[in-house]
Amino acid sequence: MSAVSAAARRRLGAALAGVGALAAVAVLLFPLYAVVVASFETNSELFGASRYSFFPARFTLSNYRVVLSQQGSHVVSSLIIAAGTAALTLAIAVPAAHALARYRFAVTGLLTGSLLAAQILPSIVIANSLFLVYHRLHLLNSYPGLVIADASYAVPFAILVLRAFMLALPRDVIAAARVDGATEWQAFTRLVLPMSRPAIITIALFAFLNGWGDFIFALTMLNGNTFEPVTLSIYTYIGEFSQNWGQAMALAVFAVLPAAMLLIAAQRYIAAGLTAGSVKG
Amino acid sequence: MSQLSTADAGRLPRQARRHGGPPGLPGRRQVRLLRLARWLFLLPAVGFVVFAFVVPVVYNVVLSFERTSPATVAHLAAPFAGLSNYWVTLRDPVADSAIVRTFSFTVLSLLFQFVIGFGLALLFCVRFPLRVLARSLVLVPWLLPLLVTGVIFRFLFQLQAGAVNQVLLGLHLVHRPVGFEVDPGWAYLTVLVTNIWIGVPFFTVLLYSALQDVPAELLEAARIDGAGPWQRLVRVRLPLIRPVAEVVLVLGFVFTVKVFDVVIGLTGGGPANSTQLIATWAYNLSFQEFDYGAGAALNTVLLLIALAAAPLYIWLNRASLRGDTR
Repeated sequence: MSAVSAAARRRLGAALAGVGALAAVAVLLFPLYAVVVASFETNSELFGASRYSFFPARFTLSNYRVVLSQQGSHVVSSLIIAAGTAALTLAIAVPAAHALARYRFAVTGLLTGSLLAAQILPSIVIANSLFLVYHRLHLLNSYPGLVIADASYAVPFAILVLRAFMLALPRDVIAAARVDGATEWQAFTRLVLPMSRPAIITIALFAFLNGWGDFIFALTMLNGNTFEPVTLSIYTYIGEFSQNWGQAMALAVFAVLPAAMLLIAAQRYIAAGLTAGSVKG
Repeated sequence: MSQLSTADAGRLPRQARRHGGPPGLPGRRQVRLLRLARWLFLLPAVGFVVFAFVVPVVYNVVLSFERTSPATVAHLAAPFAGLSNYWVTLRDPVADSAIVRTFSFTVLSLLFQFVIGFGLALLFCVRFPLRVLARSLVLVPWLLPLLVTGVIFRFLFQLQAGAVNQVLLGLHLVHRPVGFEVDPGWAYLTVLVTNIWIGVPFFTVLLYSALQDVPAELLEAARIDGAGPWQRLVRVRLPLIRPVAEVVLVLGFVFTVKVFDVVIGLTGGGPANSTQLIATWAYNLSFQEFDYGAGAALNTVLLLIALAAAPLYIWLNRASLRGDTR
């Protein structure tokens, strides 16, 4: 009898936990629902009404039409910046992680220690100094300048995560290849790189999202006359046309899209990166 | 040795020459080349760390002791100003309250992120339909560009047609719409709520994975010994996830003291500077008032606060300083 009631109690507990968790997820995701809905509404529906409507009556594509015609180039700029950030991060982090995992340097401790400290540095500190340095180097309003600055989000994380992953690779496989006559370079390109693929994908994804989501460096280093990423144009949008929420939200949908798509397509890499970045203690 | 020509011997490292060098090693030069190659692998990273981290930090400290103006931007150096940037900046009530606010904001954010994240993590430990889907959807808020999140919440917290006001009115919690954008206290609360929303996924995912690592036999043994759910939570689960919880909280601290995008997107630091944090006010000094020295002085304060967490953070990550993985 008591066994049955215990089982029933457990099932009730599971049901309650499920309802609680799903309700929490619904609350967490509501803002995104609201953005998508607002992006299909006209401004008069958003503002003419004195109240917020959770289920709007009419849908319009006019916001998207305006945003696509006016903001298409900004989406392209964001893509260039994000892809550039990912490429630069990989170019710096992959060889460095390999060297730090395979060879012993006098500076290994110093370098990993400063990478950990670099992760802590507030970006506004970097932005303040780099703005003046860039001014001298003529790197303001340029893709290379912005990409280098954006890589500061990703490089320390990328090296540390990838190095930890590479340290865990089986050493005897690489040693055996070396005995069989493979050069260091061949061992790196033919063995280490393919075996590290999951970690490399993870750091590339995070670097892409860092570049895509950057606002602080775009805000400080671009004057808006050359190119601007989506984050910056959303900011100018709500400044200039603070009443035009429909278009701002349609643009926000574009800004959110890569994160959503990557979460669907590459969820395990994202989750891996999230845990790898912090549970190394 | 016999294979080496005199020219090669001349290029041998000093130590090898002194000891005559190990016999029959054709690869002395190769060894040196290899050592050089190892450094080539590392060089881009060292260069990047110097350019993107060391130089900005050092230059920031230098700037904070200089009298800068829009005219000095053209040169990298400006007249020495002693401590005047610090005196002027830190005596400004806006900066003072931004510093205090950054502390309260950080503490409250971490507290609620931890409690909510841990609660959700516990819920996810129970099996229920759609569990896997729900767990992956929880990640979404954490992946959005922070500025976009700020703008989205600005939309939700509007006075007239804002969803939050609509819900509060519908639940009869308030009688007239709350002026989230115009009242300083409410504005601070909106920034806090938004930042908690951003951080909850991070806490949930990491605490969940830590809870998964708690051996089921241990919980079962505690249950058989008569420990209730609360005791199992406090006496078994919490002590076992403590190492992860520490890392998560330190990382959360590091993320939160430098919050910038969210505030700019949500309130712009207003109304009447009531939501300025250290980072946003430093930005304001440098890039709105073009007083880079003053901004740098405040940045140095932010740097000291953030780096106060560095020893703890590095200690928690001590495994990565050693050669081995963990």
